[in-house]
Amino acid sequence: MKISICSKNKGLDSLVDERFGRSENFTIIDLDTMAIETVENIAKNQASGAGGEAVKLLAKYNVDIAIVPHLGPKAETAMEAFEIKTVSQEDYKSVGEVLDAYKAGKLKEITKKKGLTRL
Amino acid sequence: MRIAVLSGKGGTGKTTITSNFAVNIKNSISIDSDVEEPNLHIFMDMKDPTSEPVYTLYPTINKDLCTLCGKCGDFCNYNAIIPAKNQVVIFNESCHDCGGCKLVCPTGAITYEKREVGKIFKGTTKYNTELYYGLLNIGEMSGVKIINQLKKYSELNEETVFIDSPPGTSCATVAAVEDVDYAIIVSEPTPFGVSDMKMVVEMLREMEIPFGLIINKAGLGDDEIYDYCKDEDIEILGEVLFDKKIAELYAGGKIFSDSLPQYKNFFSDIYKNIRKKRRSL
Repeated sequence: MKISICSKNKGLDSLVDERFGRSENFTIIDLDTMAIETVENIAKNQASGAGGEAVKLLAKYNVDIAIVPHLGPKAETAMEAFEIKTVSQEDYKSVGEVLDAYKAGKLKEITKKKGLTRL
Repeated sequence: MRIAVLSGKGGTGKTTITSNFAVNIKNSISIDSDVEEPNLHIFMDMKDPTSEPVYTLYPTINKDLCTLCGKCGDFCNYNAIIPAKNQVVIFNESCHDCGGCKLVCPTGAITYEKREVGKIFKGTTKYNTELYYGLLNIGEMSGVKIINQLKKYSELNEETVFIDSPPGTSCATVAAVEDVDYAIIVSEPTPFGVSDMKMVVEMLREMEIPFGLIINKAGLGDDEIYDYCKDEDIEILGEVLFDKKIAELYAGGKIFSDSLPQYKNFFSDIYKNIRKKRRSL
């Protein structure tokens, strides 16, 4: 199973990014093998729709669970459509801390906030 | 001749200047393309306008034909259409209605539906001139569709069309000034007015549209605007003074040259000057 963490740089010491669609990178961790990969977020410079594009990127890397900060309504809808579960990164500062917290079962799954979508 | 009036900064007097031209230049029509906050029709006192809706198209998917190949999603520049696991997600409001997704779809699964993005109002003003303005629906992201439709009306008039443009230098402003014969920048002599005007100058030069400047509220602020115009060789077409009388008329929704006749020639002289320049180009 693969999880992703929004990250400013590479590796477990990197700070987490507090944005999803415009996160610098995604750290993708295969929990079965503990292989760690950093993927540059190609969506971050999009004029609009960065959230949706970033979800597409995670889907391409077969991410099952995305650990994220606040999600916009479009990113939320796209996550659902790609059947990627979303988990809140809470206030943890580094990628390593987020990973440890996730493994210890401290992070909660985000349930869809009804009524936030526009139009 | 189509003349756009723009400013960069909001509140410098675009609509004030446009309305004064519109009432002093015979046989002219005016268009308010600031579709997020139109108010030229208030100055011009437009009676009983008629309205027509403006639509934009967005894709819908025939699930029986769609193979989730992903081509539409790869093509879309705005991530308005995203093929996912067992469905295609469409964000209607992100769609720019380019028609590309239908062209690249190999199975013909995409068709389009229309959505109203706003309205165009047309009518006659108290001054017996024609006026058109657009109004963007709440929550819509782009007024470009409405502006382009509005500008079709400017092709009906062979004399003079004044186009009151939106502030800023984004897509809406570009759409408003595209293909005009001349642009009048209205700026105020403050650091803010000059800073935003510089972006407009850069945009107009890029678009190769000839332009000149009217300084509104002259006497306010500092001299930076004069130095800037000298350095950049920008023609100052005229100056409207920072005058309490003008401010009072504005606050009452009046067109100031109606009450201050010394300004009537001011606007017709600037217009003649622009016409002469156009002929010599």
